Amino acid sequence: MRRIFQINGEETECWLSHDGNRFILNTPDGAHPCRLDPAGAPGGHVLRTRGRVQDLRLAVGPDATFVHMNGRTYAIGRVDPAERLAGRDGGAADDRIVAPMPGTVVSVNAKPGDHVREGQPLLDIESMKLETSLTAPRDGVVAEIPFAAGDSFGLKATLALLAPEED
Amino acid sequence: MRRIESQIDTNSPDFKANHAAMSERLEEFHARQHAARFERPQRDIDRLARQNKLGVRERLNLLLDPGTPFLEFSTLAACREYDGAVPGAAVVTGIGIVQGREVAIHANDASVKGGAWYPHTVKKIVRLLDVALENRLPVIHICDSAGGFLPLQHGVFPDRYLGGRVFRNQVKLSQANIPQIAVVGGHCTAGGAYVPTLSDYNIIIEGTGAIFLGGPPLVKAATGEEVGVQELGGAVMHTSVSGTGDYRAATEEQAFSLAREIVSQWTRPPKTIIETAAFEEPYYDPKELYGIIPKDRKTQFDMREVLARIVDGSRFHEYQPDYGTTMVCGFAHIWGYKVGILANNGVLFNDSSLKAAHFMQLCNQNGTPLIFFQNITGYMVGREYEERGIAKDGAKMLMAQGGSVVPKFTVIANASYGAGNYGMCGRAWDARTLFMWPQAEIGVMGADQAANTMADVKIRQLEREGKKLSEEETAAIRDPVLEKFRRDVEAYTSTSELWDDGILDPADTRNALGMSISASLNAPIDDPHYGIFRL
Repeated sequence: MRRIFQINGEETECWLSHDGNRFILNTPDGAHPCRLDPAGAPGGHVLRTRGRVQDLRLAVGPDATFVHMNGRTYAIGRVDPAERLAGRDGGAADDRIVAPMPGTVVSVNAKPGDHVREGQPLLDIESMKLETSLTAPRDGVVAEIPFAAGDSFGLKATLALLAPEED
Repeated sequence: MRRIESQIDTNSPDFKANHAAMSERLEEFHARQHAARFERPQRDIDRLARQNKLGVRERLNLLLDPGTPFLEFSTLAACREYDGAVPGAAVVTGIGIVQGREVAIHANDASVKGGAWYPHTVKKIVRLLDVALENRLPVIHICDSAGGFLPLQHGVFPDRYLGGRVFRNQVKLSQANIPQIAVVGGHCTAGGAYVPTLSDYNIIIEGTGAIFLGGPPLVKAATGEEVGVQELGGAVMHTSVSGTGDYRAATEEQAFSLAREIVSQWTRPPKTIIETAAFEEPYYDPKELYGIIPKDRKTQFDMREVLARIVDGSRFHEYQPDYGTTMVCGFAHIWGYKVGILANNGVLFNDSSLKAAHFMQLCNQNGTPLIFFQNITGYMVGREYEERGIAKDGAKMLMAQGGSVVPKFTVIANASYGAGNYGMCGRAWDARTLFMWPQAEIGVMGADQAANTMADVKIRQLEREGKKLSEEETAAIRDPVLEKFRRDVEAYTSTSELWDDGILDPADTRNALGMSISASLNAPIDDPHYGIFRL
């Protein structure tokens, strides 16, 4: 399985395979036969690869493995490929907050002209015995909040509008 | 599998307020549970000592493997019945470990009304035996009962799921090749005599144990014959003359070590194999659940935050993360067992219902047990949704859920209203175990809605009669109804009535589910098959 590791902050893609006789470390610069044997002190190992024999010590944690070798410690973190390779760009956040279902406004916590931060509650609505807080999708300025506390609204009604983002 | 990234700020005022509210509720819950388990009037404790009997908890200690968990069911059964005078419904039930084997345990609590069977006692025993049947768990009965509580005989005896069902289930267990042992540590009179006699093995404790269809007073009244307990149905008579008893034990200690020896003689059928991963504790502390569950039930919260504090490593592979978002579906592990989780993040719409149905089919196809986390106020109502066929899509969800062949488990985490309770595997839908959190509520609708509906009917009726009601008069009608409904929807009412298998401290949910899943794997998983989906 292809994996992504972060070694002292730098990402590298590699995976381990076995050709029936030995382990092969597949890296972007080619495949290298390798062999790791436990030796001596706790965590002590001997690594044989590319004609070299290297003593090292390993400490394995839940999120990272630490390799101590030649007087230096390397932190090797595992990076989740599904997360890493997911699109970084979620698309521009919408300016409009649309009613997810018909309901009633319980309270309004912002007014036109207010500067709001992403995640800041703009208004609370109630529908089907459940109160939901609707929050700003991005940092910005409130342009419009058409409903007041106590008002009813329909599905997909615009409940709040942010002023368009200026470039 | 990726870890859920919690967005919870444990230093926020909301978190702290929720935490305080839940801690208060839990303090009450643990106090009530402790009282139901251990607090008894002195005269009842004295009577047991005089009779030379151990208490039911001491008996369980002798029976169960030391240091192993005991998943006790319905500790607060009957807490709102009989003026609270029958704690735990006078019986202890649960799943425990004996000689390394998972067994179902039914033990009369003779410190409560002499272990008499009340209507809720029968309900609790029948439920336990249903659990044994569904999960193919051997049963150990610890018998010590005064018999049916006569003033309520019609609530104990005749109906389909009353007394007869206990014995019927024992027959079905035997028929299904699921072994049973009865340890007779008190009297088994009348119907109660069938518990040990329908068990494959029974052990009678000398001096205290006895089995008879009619006890000495009844015999005297019926035929005039005068006979003592020991001659009529004691350990010596039954194990050497009638063959009704199998083993005679000189002491309670000997009786339970014999029971353990018998369990170790049984063959061990292999358990069902499902996908597993290495055991991992949740990355986020389960006790943080106290600050996540809102103090006001109407406040929305993200179920992923709950899952992050229940599943192994807080890892969750979410299925269809951008579709039908009020229904969170995905895979995780609990105690290493792979499970499919369905959790409510709002009202069920058409898309969320379809997503749930689809996901359940997926889990049935690959033999993955299902866990439901309920916080559901219902399926969406209104013209728009009826036109889109919300009732039809809800029916598909029910068809997939009710037709599931994999084991199902339900946690009522907050609200459980209306048909949402059904879709999310409420009591009627054969969850192998179903637990409630202490602040959770069950009702056809919310207490406020129900009370308003009831009060409005009454008020309109009076108005038709030409009566004009003042505000006080309206309140006088509405308030008592509201109070009654608020009480009726509480978890304590549900657990009193055995609509669940017990109230849980949310932090214990992970272990209760782990044990439940492990126990369920004693039964095979069938191939998937369904009824007709209204497409």
